[in-house]
Amino acid sequence: MKPITKYAVLAAILFSGLVAATAGAAAHHGFAVFDTSSQKTITGTVHEFQWTNPHTWVWLDVPNGKGGVDTYGFEGMSPNYLERRGWTRKTLKPGDTITVTYFPLKNGDKGGSFLIGKRPNGEELRMFLDSPTEDH
Amino acid sequence: MGGVKLRNHRLRIAFVSVSFAVVSIAAFVSSTAAQTFKKAIPTPADWAAVAKLPDFTGVWEIPLGGPAARVTNPAIGVPPRRFAPLSLTPEYEAKRKDLMAHAEQDNQSANCLPPGMPGIMAQPYPMEFLLTPGQVTIIIEAYSETRHIYTDGRPLPDDPDPTFFGTSVGHWEGDTLVVHTVGFSTQTEIEPHVPHSDKMSILEKFRLLDPNTMSVETTVTDPEALAAPYVTNRILKRHRSWTIAEYICEQNNRNYVDRSGKAGINLTVPSDATPAPK
Repeated sequence: MKPITKYAVLAAILFSGLVAATAGAAAHHGFAVFDTSSQKTITGTVHEFQWTNPHTWVWLDVPNGKGGVDTYGFEGMSPNYLERRGWTRKTLKPGDTITVTYFPLKNGDKGGSFLIGKRPNGEELRMFLDSPTEDH
Repeated sequence: MGGVKLRNHRLRIAFVSVSFAVVSIAAFVSSTAAQTFKKAIPTPADWAAVAKLPDFTGVWEIPLGGPAARVTNPAIGVPPRRFAPLSLTPEYEAKRKDLMAHAEQDNQSANCLPPGMPGIMAQPYPMEFLLTPGQVTIIIEAYSETRHIYTDGRPLPDDPDPTFFGTSVGHWEGDTLVVHTVGFSTQTEIEPHVPHSDKMSILEKFRLLDPNTMSVETTVTDPEALAAPYVTNRILKRHRSWTIAEYICEQNNRNYVDRSGKAGINLTVPSDATPAPK
C-alpha cells in the first residue's frame, strides 16, 4: 500500500468514527468547538509541546508568508492516554518539523484537534490509537 | 476593690471555661450526629479475611474497542451495554431535551468539574481497587478522584449531603461486591445530558468473570427522573503493569464558555520562557 493511500484510509477511519459517535453523544471538554466535518493539513516547526492535563497541546510555528510565523495550537489526548500508547513528553521537541492533519476550530482561529502528525521521514504520530494490550 | 476584681477575674475564668465546654459539647454532638459509626480497629483476623476475598486489586480499564471507538470514546465516555432503553419520566425527558439543546454550553466540563457518579465509572481511563478491612477504595485516574465504599456494616445515612460520588456502603454476596450509593448532587448526570433528581440511588455489582476480567452491573433508580430502573453493564480488564497517573484538570484547561454561552478555547501561546524538555 502506497503511503498516501494508507494515510487516506487512516484518515477515513478516523473521520467516520468521529462523526458517528459525536452525532449522538455529548462533547467532552469542548469538543463542540471543532469542526469534525472537515480536516485541514498544515506544516510547521514545533514551538512547544505541552505534556499536560486535561489535554496535551502542540504549538506549531507556521510561516505566514509575510516573513514571520503564526503559532497554531493543536489539542491532543491527555498524557495518561498517550503514555500507554507509545508517546512521551519528548515525542515532539521544539524545532521538530511536522505536518499536522487536524479538525479545524469552527470559529476559524489558528488551531484545532490534532489527528495525525507526519515527520519529514514519513513517521506518523497518531493521537487516537488502539487500546493497549492487556497485561496480567 | 481588689477583691471584686479577683472575683470578677474568677467569674470570667469560670464563664470562659463553661462557654468552652458548651461549645465543645455542641461540636461533639454535631460530629457524632454526622458520623455515628466508628470503624473498628483492624485485627490480624480482619486482614486474613481480606486475603480470602476475590482479587480485585490492581489497575483496571474499560477496553476502548475498535476503530470508531478508539477515536471517539476518549472524548465522550464509554457507552455501556444496556439491558433496556433509558426511560425518563416526562418531566425529566423535557429537562434532558433542554440540556441537549444547550449542549454547546457544556459549562461543567469546560470548567473542569468532574462527572461524578455514575459517569466517573465510565471514563476512558483506568481505576485502581484497594481492599482493606471494612473498606473498598476505588482510585479513579480521571480527575484524580476517589470513591470510598464502606464494607464494615455501617448503615447508609438517612439524610446524606448531596455529593458528586454519593455515600457508598457495600457487602459481599459470595464473590460479588454489592454496593449501594445514595446522596448525589444534581450536578452529576446519569449519562451525558441525562439529569437526575436528588432521590437517585445506585446499586452496583462487581464480580470477576475470570481472573483478569471484571463485570460491573449498575442499576440506577430514581423515582422522579426514571420511569424504570436503568440497568447497564460494563467490562473492565486488568493491567498488572500499569500505575495510576496524575490528572489535574485545572493544570492546562483551555476550555471556556463565553457570555453568550458558546464554548471556546483559549489559544494563548504558552510562554517562551518555559524550558523545553531535553
